[in-house]
Amino acid sequence: MITDLYYCEATGLLPYRNQALEEYLLRRVQPGELILYLWQNQRTVVIGRNQNSWQECRVELLQQDQGYLARRLSGGGAVFHDLGNLNFTFITTDADYHLPQQLAVIINALAAIGIKAVKSGRNDLLIADRKFSGNAFYKSGANRYHHGTIMVDVDMTDLGRYLQPSADKLAAKGVNSVRSRVANLAEFVPEITVEQLKKLLFHSLGDTYGLPVQEFLLPADAGQKLALLTERYANWQWIYGRQADFDIQLAHRFSWGEISLNLQIEQGTIANAVIYSDAMDGEFIASLAPFLSGCRYDTAAMIDSLQQAVINNRQQAVIIDELSTWLQKRG
Amino acid sequence: MTNPSDYKYVRSHEWLCYVDDDRVRVGITDFAQQAMGDLVFVNLPIVGDMTTAGEPLCDVESVKSVEDIFAPVSGEVTAINEELMDHPELINAAPYDAWIAEISHITDTEELLDAAAYEAVCAEEE
Repeated sequence: MITDLYYCEATGLLPYRNQALEEYLLRRVQPGELILYLWQNQRTVVIGRNQNSWQECRVELLQQDQGYLARRLSGGGAVFHDLGNLNFTFITTDADYHLPQQLAVIINALAAIGIKAVKSGRNDLLIADRKFSGNAFYKSGANRYHHGTIMVDVDMTDLGRYLQPSADKLAAKGVNSVRSRVANLAEFVPEITVEQLKKLLFHSLGDTYGLPVQEFLLPADAGQKLALLTERYANWQWIYGRQADFDIQLAHRFSWGEISLNLQIEQGTIANAVIYSDAMDGEFIASLAPFLSGCRYDTAAMIDSLQQAVINNRQQAVIIDELSTWLQKRG
Repeated sequence: MTNPSDYKYVRSHEWLCYVDDDRVRVGITDFAQQAMGDLVFVNLPIVGDMTTAGEPLCDVESVKSVEDIFAPVSGEVTAINEELMDHPELINAAPYDAWIAEISHITDTEELLDAAAYEAVCAEEE
């Protein structure tokens, strides 16, 4: 039975740090406690635990816009966060976990400003048949969390750009995202702000559980653990490296011919590269493949590798230049 | 479904079965798969991974949630059941055949329960 309710707000907008605090709270929650953690990320695409980063997100485009790509512990599909989105996490132990009551905190908070939200399926909250909140779940031993987004005033253009499926042909095992019709709360209550929503959720937490809400204070020794966890979430290995192997085909037509890069990616690295082309200098283009094998599947690393190729004439230099520019812009 | 009497179990709902003195196969119990619901993905460990008894070995994603699977022994992953990459539902269909990983060079072991003791743990949780 829950005896202690806590409320915790993230202090920064960096996704990896915010994910670190979420996991820190999960690892230390005690029987009888429930923590509501609220957090916001600046320009971030968050993919599910078992998703392919390249399949779900326009990685290049996001990086060019100084956005972040993050992988979470829970399952499900890709979401976009900006400062128009508020994230919530309910952290508790297995024995005290009760999804309908947790969702009631959100539904009741919105009812207080005249919005009627309903649960749909296992993962979504809807207003007038449009999704404004996606939920996901993680369990580790006796502890678990339920977290989700609340779209208050998210930039829909950005959302569409970053989550747009890429034109590349990609064959990956894992979990695919399901597209939904989404809506911002601001479409229903134009004057709503994230700050106001936080206050509504704080009050709804206490009212829904019928207990006083205490502020969660980070213990003095939390800093070191948070730094380690932050590093883990920011790590290339976690975001790109440790995912199921996949094959990708990148194709493009240049003035000098059409090219198709066929790459086998294992643990985030190009294990095998084959290049097909109908260009005049097909031999030169085929000779580029070994430069890509063994290189990280990452635009900058691939461009660096191509620059190692031995160039014998002006046309070959143009090919390398144009390939590099294309890889860079592929977004 | 009955829990095989020649398997051993741990409280976090994994089973293990000795292939020889220094090598076990590990999977999740029928009780665990029922609680999780239909699996959609098994995030297998990698051959060569070192495991620590009682620490996460890998994770599985079901329609409900992602859950950590814990290593019942400390050692090294020497084989994985790659069939689960394409067919996670095998765990739901036959949890005691659908092994996840083989762990060898065992240096430490969690408290192991026989089938009867494990069933008592499950009865408490229900």
